[in-house]
Amino acid sequence: MSSIGGVPFYILEFGDELVYFTPYTITLFLLALVFTVLVILSRPERQVDIAFGGDAYTTKQILKDEMRFRRFMSIACGLASMGAMVTGDIFNFTLFTAMVGITNVGIVAAVKSPHVQNAAYQYGLVALSATVPLFGAAAVYAASTGSLSMIELARGTLPAVPIIAKALLVIGVVGEGMAPFYAAKAEMFRAPGAPYVIMCSLSSLLIFLRVVEVVMLG
Amino acid sequence: MMWGEYSIGLLLVLVSGVIGFAALAIEIDDLHRLLLLDLVEISSLGIIALLGTDLAEALVLPGLTVGIAELLALSQIYITKERLKDKPVKGLNIEVIRKADAPVVISAFLVVYGLILSGFTGGGVAGLGLVFFFMSRGYQEDLNMLEMASGISWAIWIFAFFVFMFLPQYWFVALMCAAVGIVLKVTVKMSLVGTMWGEVRE
Amino acid sequence: MIIRRISHYLCNYENIVPLFAGACALLFVAAILLLPITYHEHPLYPKTIDRNSTLDPYDRGGPPFSQVVIGVQYPENSPTAGLVTTYLTPFSLFLADRTQHLGTTIVAHPGGIIDEILYNTRGLDTVVEPTILLIAFAIASFLYRKVK
Repeated sequence: MSSIGGVPFYILEFGDELVYFTPYTITLFLLALVFTVLVILSRPERQVDIAFGGDAYTTKQILKDEMRFRRFMSIACGLASMGAMVTGDIFNFTLFTAMVGITNVGIVAAVKSPHVQNAAYQYGLVALSATVPLFGAAAVYAASTGSLSMIELARGTLPAVPIIAKALLVIGVVGEGMAPFYAAKAEMFRAPGAPYVIMCSLSSLLIFLRVVEVVMLG
Repeated sequence: MMWGEYSIGLLLVLVSGVIGFAALAIEIDDLHRLLLLDLVEISSLGIIALLGTDLAEALVLPGLTVGIAELLALSQIYITKERLKDKPVKGLNIEVIRKADAPVVISAFLVVYGLILSGFTGGGVAGLGLVFFFMSRGYQEDLNMLEMASGISWAIWIFAFFVFMFLPQYWFVALMCAAVGIVLKVTVKMSLVGTMWGEVRE
Repeated sequence: MIIRRISHYLCNYENIVPLFAGACALLFVAAILLLPITYHEHPLYPKTIDRNSTLDPYDRGGPPFSQVVIGVQYPENSPTAGLVTTYLTPFSLFLADRTQHLGTTIVAHPGGIIDEILYNTRGLDTVVEPTILLIAFAIASFLYRKVK
């Protein structure tokens, strides 16, 4: 049981799906929790446009309903990341990851600017196509080992997980979190409203850290 | 290593997946990409279905729902992005249906029968009733109401889940709550099909 | 030089969909090459097919309220699993008593155990799933109202 980031302190049982807390998962969980609380408390940043060659500048107004919607999406994103951090079931993990993906799309898509909308659409296409390898990986895990529980996989008594299932899982998480595509993501960061946009970034970092642990099992 | 039935099935699904993804990689038009995605999704359902146990059915349903949900959100983003305006499409414009009380009676019957059936089937039947009602009336959609119903069904479902987990002796109550939750959920989904179709808007 | 060209390509967000789809296609090809994957002999929630049952592919075994074994991962966590096997309305029951073809459609009657897996033993999945639906619906209706 040493390979799942330490001995679980506590296992919460939801039927066949166990939620477990090890030193590794609890650290990531607390990080997501703290950031979600920050998002609830903080006020959005306002972008300032400065006109070239003069002293004129304007502050971009953020509409109230837009701000509330994005805050809702960020909180949902935080909850999804928390769930993805502590769940002990492969399929449940993929579902939480898919939820992180769609909430990230929501955070970005709430902004009116056509440029941002276009970026959100492209990102949404990637997030949606990433569910294919994600769920496929979970199904191959179940078929080849006869179990979806990470605790069972960590015991080492089950047959080895095919390498391709792990690869599919990783590319699915990459698609949902778009971790290596920061260059492309920078386009979306032009959207105003700082804490919410950072939630996208943090959640994708967190799910990527977690998938590293998951692929080391079995 | 043996080529069992499972591997042969997987081969077919993976080949279809490769075709789908290759098409997606080549396609440039945004709308076509969305349609191709729907095609690619099917191969993931295929991989899940190859499990061939009751687990497969339990995993296909979430997989399908996630796909449909994201497709719904993405198509709305597409509409906003392309600044498409609503085209005035008439409802089911049949004189008899418009004037008579028949649609009300039929949809009321379907909704009540759906509630009796409960569960997945019941949601489908009740939703069909609402779709029929909306189509025949040229109903102005009240998205707020549908949103609320969706939220309520979610809450009922979570409640049922916690009863199952922490008070398993009351499993029957939990089962009934979950059945009511799924009725509302499927009803909302089905009636969305009816309302988002587009109808007369003054 | 090459890095700059790559980062320039990635900068254009129009390119990320072809890039990701291409990567997935390559991975699927790799999956085909690595193919024969052995199916585990003891799957979770195994399914038996009884061709003589009137509920054929959806027959979960046994009358309702008598517990059947459904092969869950942790039986001690789901003490009530297997109690609900079939879920028929009076009309479906009437049909099931008279015809062999009721089971050909899941629409006629959802099977009990699938509902149990969904609500009970794998309930957390089902909690996440309507949550995703709710989120997607919230996005769509927010944008919809904004356009109007």
